[in-house]
Amino acid sequence: MKLEPTILDLDWSEVETKIKRFIKDYVEKSGAKGMVLGLSGGIDSCTAGALSALAIGGDKVFGLLLPEQETYNAKDVEDAKLVAEKFGFKTEMIEVTSTLEAFYTSTPIFQPTDKICKGNIKARVRMIYIYYYANRLSMLACGSSDKSETMIGYFTKWGDVAADISPLMDLYKMQVRKLAQHIGVPKEIVTKPASPALWPGQLAEEELGIRYEILDLILYGLEHFMNTEEIARQLSVKQELVNKIKLRWLYMEHKRRMPLTTKIQYRTMGADFRLPRTSH
Amino acid sequence: MKEKIKIALAQISCKQGNKTENIKKIESQVTKAKQQGAELVVFPELSLTGYTMRDQIYELAETIPGHSTTALEKSAKKTGAYIVFGMPELSEKTQATVYNAAVLVGPDGFIGKYRKIYLPTHSVFEEKRYFRPGYQTAVFETELGKIGLIICYDIFFPEVSRLTRLQGAQLIVCISASPATRRTFFETLTAARAIENTAFLAYVNLVGIEDGLQFWGGSRLVGPNGKTLVQAKYDEEDLVVGEISYADIRPTETFVPILKDLRPELFDKLKETAEKL
Repeated sequence: MKLEPTILDLDWSEVETKIKRFIKDYVEKSGAKGMVLGLSGGIDSCTAGALSALAIGGDKVFGLLLPEQETYNAKDVEDAKLVAEKFGFKTEMIEVTSTLEAFYTSTPIFQPTDKICKGNIKARVRMIYIYYYANRLSMLACGSSDKSETMIGYFTKWGDVAADISPLMDLYKMQVRKLAQHIGVPKEIVTKPASPALWPGQLAEEELGIRYEILDLILYGLEHFMNTEEIARQLSVKQELVNKIKLRWLYMEHKRRMPLTTKIQYRTMGADFRLPRTSH
Repeated sequence: MKEKIKIALAQISCKQGNKTENIKKIESQVTKAKQQGAELVVFPELSLTGYTMRDQIYELAETIPGHSTTALEKSAKKTGAYIVFGMPELSEKTQATVYNAAVLVGPDGFIGKYRKIYLPTHSVFEEKRYFRPGYQTAVFETELGKIGLIICYDIFFPEVSRLTRLQGAQLIVCISASPATRRTFFETLTAARAIENTAFLAYVNLVGIEDGLQFWGGSRLVGPNGKTLVQAKYDEEDLVVGEISYADIRPTETFVPILKDLRPELFDKLKETAEKL
């Protein structure tokens, strides 16, 4: 297997069809009235919103813009509105700063300099808003997580990843960009650097120390059982870097699963209690 | 035995775990197919229950014959059609030993069953966790000719189709629940199994989405020369009817006499070598 950018190419029309069919089918089977999703103005949420609207109609999709003071970016808000307008779905903007402040001031151990803990509050507060809207409107929460970030655990546990379905989770970031382009997400959103917006100036590639062009190929190699030496050789990167990514992928499994329990009884959640997700 | 028969490929989606609804759908498709002149109507693998049942299989599995086969026998009697469908079969001698089975019923009632020999347990498949493998190939003599039954992953192992052919089947029916990522394999293998056995092959795949798995449909009737005679749509429910004429086997068999040229002595070698893999 040759790790080169074209290996990530897929038939984008087919991918679009599959994802739309998946969304429509799941919404119909669940009996929900539509989908609510957090719309940050970034590539993932804009693509998930656009695909949802294409799948079930814009009148059944609700994009929630949840900015807060510290990371407020007028361009992101503009982009979120732009994509909603283009694909015909509704949006609502809620400034979440006061909710965050309430948390900060009411929490005795709150430490403002611990930016990761603080940033996770933002992702989880956004999740609460999304689920409130979903419950209230009898809709489902649609996630936007991609495969790259999910594999390396670059997300907040029970935060931005929390959703009923995640239609993009089997596509690497570079593939989401291609798909976004294919379905007509505006170019400025497709090419914009990714950011989880947990603290001011946070950029995914800077924080991860690697460009998605390389990260995705490393992850693709790992997905296909390639060893780290071979991946490093093919991509002309240090094996140490590939090992680091591999370990991160393995260590983060706890973020991708339901909580672990210890087996005590006959059938156990997450172990041998195995049921289909959808039954009639 | 009839020289020409019409076969309907009833490519349906199933309601997971809802046998009543699925039986209703099978019955209505049989009626529809019969109106189009079909004498044999084929449904996908595990079409009685849906493919993804996981632990619910123990509640859904039934003996054969049993309640559901009786219901579909009635449908066959009423319409005069032969029907092949898939279901989880509960062994009569145990309480939780289940087979992935294909059932053939006809106007005179129950004809026979086949228990899937090769159970995929890799990637998204977990069949060996739930099913016991079958040990016998199955060929049934009917007024529509000798029909061999195989199920989905069996098609990757040429010996299953070959055995049914050597037992006299001129029509191999393969019922399937294949997710979209495997389409290329099946499109190639359906033609290959038909060619290498100079037999007709009716492949019927599931459609719909179960637990994120999208089944691709694309059911087809393939001639002994590997040509697709009729094909159902990809990804959506469809019912297509095609006619086969057993007389068409002869010119293919004389053109490429595969069965005549079989070398049984290699089979022993194959067994011996495979054991040492």
